[in-house]
Amino acid sequence: MSKELILEKAKTSILEADEDLALEALKEAEDTGVNLLELLSDGFSAGMKELGDLFGSGEVFLPELMFSTEVMKVATAEIEGKMDVKDVKPKGVMVIGTVEGDVHDIGKGIVASLIKTNGVTVHDLGREVPAKVFVEKVKEFNADFLGSSALLTTTMTEQKKIEELLAKEGLKGKVKTLVGGAPVTKRWADRIGADAYCEDASEAVNTLLGWIGNL
Amino acid sequence: MRLQLAKKMKINEAKAYVAEKLNVTLEELCDVVTMSEVREDLGLGLAHVEPCAEANAGMEAKFKIAKLLGIQINSVEKFKERAGI
Amino acid sequence: MSESKKYFTRMGDGAIVYMTEEEIRQDIEAGVQDAAKRGKIDPLTEEEKEKLYQIIAMPGSLVGVEHGMQVVTSNDSGSDKINTKCGIPTSRDTNAMIHERLLGCDSVDIGYSDYNYKTVKGVAKREATVLKQALNKCTMPLFYGAMPNLGFYTKPDGPVDNWAVLLPEGKIKEAMTAQEEAVEHAVRDMVYVAEQMHDVGADAFMLDTSGAAGDADFLAALKATEIINERFPDMPVEIGMAGEFVLGMHGKLKYKDVRLAGLYPHKQVKMVEEAGGSIFGVVVNTNSNKSFPWNIGRVCTFVKACTEAASIPVHANVGMGVCGIPMVENLPTDIVARADKALIEIGKIDGL
Repeated sequence: MSKELILEKAKTSILEADEDLALEALKEAEDTGVNLLELLSDGFSAGMKELGDLFGSGEVFLPELMFSTEVMKVATAEIEGKMDVKDVKPKGVMVIGTVEGDVHDIGKGIVASLIKTNGVTVHDLGREVPAKVFVEKVKEFNADFLGSSALLTTTMTEQKKIEELLAKEGLKGKVKTLVGGAPVTKRWADRIGADAYCEDASEAVNTLLGWIGNL
Repeated sequence: MRLQLAKKMKINEAKAYVAEKLNVTLEELCDVVTMSEVREDLGLGLAHVEPCAEANAGMEAKFKIAKLLGIQINSVEKFKERAGI
Repeated sequence: MSESKKYFTRMGDGAIVYMTEEEIRQDIEAGVQDAAKRGKIDPLTEEEKEKLYQIIAMPGSLVGVEHGMQVVTSNDSGSDKINTKCGIPTSRDTNAMIHERLLGCDSVDIGYSDYNYKTVKGVAKREATVLKQALNKCTMPLFYGAMPNLGFYTKPDGPVDNWAVLLPEGKIKEAMTAQEEAVEHAVRDMVYVAEQMHDVGADAFMLDTSGAAGDADFLAALKATEIINERFPDMPVEIGMAGEFVLGMHGKLKYKDVRLAGLYPHKQVKMVEEAGGSIFGVVVNTNSNKSFPWNIGRVCTFVKACTEAASIPVHANVGMGVCGIPMVENLPTDIVARADKALIEIGKIDGL
């Protein structure tokens, strides 16, 4: 089977949450000498990206996304098991949470899930997370990325506090920050000095992957 | 608004209904000058126009509105029930 | 070569931007096509797109609808922003009178400052007292309003497990069960509050941002409306949405055999009608990275399809960040006026 068809099969296995198909694609890749990292990025991950876009447009729903995530986890574990550890570049570590005083976490949960499937280690701090805890956890986990979500105009000021604390701790520039949530805009992100504003989960993933690609 | 709530009427139908009940044209219904006079004359509530004490407002205006438009207004019915009218 | 004339408009985050005629038309087209593709609905006609361009490019800060096309207003947020946002200490019945006699409203809702039914349930009879006082003083219809806000029923704030935590852990069945449980709690609370308000003569009942927590949240609003309609048929219900499509957090929930996840406004309104709702509050979220022409083109496409399908009145939500309004706290009248005009004259809404 050609490389293109194998990659397509891998992508389809994610779109259809078909674990058997995923393992079939993996075996065919091994048998035909297709690079497994390429299979991961251009096959399975490409499927997750397309699924994320479909979710964003309301054609696929969260449980379906989660089923596919499970297949992605299996495929990733299989590939990593077959490779030399040094071949698998760590993608990075992220700390994410909903800010203090805010209990809305649905969007944040979706972002965390999607980012996890792209090989980033995600530490989800939950909801109502004080700014100082965000910063403490960045230090504890040696995080590369910090994501904060705020759904209320009254709580989004916490995102400014996070930026100020990071600067005070000498972490600005060492950790990249993403902000999101219904009242949050790029204008707000620029005002507080955040590195990126993300409109939705897909944009958060694309932003992160863009940064990772440049590391 | 009352007709949208009471009878689920869309805007044009609601306007036509009210205009007919108040004996005004559609254009007059959307004219603040005409409608101020109509509300004053019919006691339909115009409490921010002097002399304010003479104008109907609140419950007394709603009694009139319910009768004129041929609809039931809940707070009017509750008022009657509680006052034993 | 002279430069093309540029027109004042804004981005979805409120930033001022100047665009040429060509840029405006391109953005309108792109917004219209985005809505048509997502919703699988007809795009605006050439005539409607032309009208939209004219509205955007009109000179003057304020624009208005043609005489005779004025519509009525309903409200969400509990009319208490005079107090909570402006810092003017007023009682809520005074707020309602201010909305009626100074702000020219056609109706307003009374609501608690913690604007959700889970909290309101605990103080419902006191809230009913406030509404009763306001009903005695106001001529215009008064609603009681709050949000279903299903997320508040999750631990640690509520009794059910948090599906936003269960889903990423792969506990999908548990997440679905949690949402189904939350629906029952929410419906019970909404119906209880509705009963208290009906007892004092409320003109109507408002369920704001229905669907905010996904399809289960929308289902809770529909089920509550159905019961309220049966028990209190003289108290109409307005269901205001949270977005242009219903997020599939559960994915399998149905109402009257129709799957709720993924529904767009022209289908959402039919569900509200099935439940017995009297007014539908359509919402299309503003994309803060796109221009006003893009956003309003998209909004009008969704809203027009909705009003064409609807047999009940449709009130477009024109608050912060929705239906073309920028995501800012202090709303710019130049955009609000244009959005209102477009929604009325092209979207054919029955109210704002």
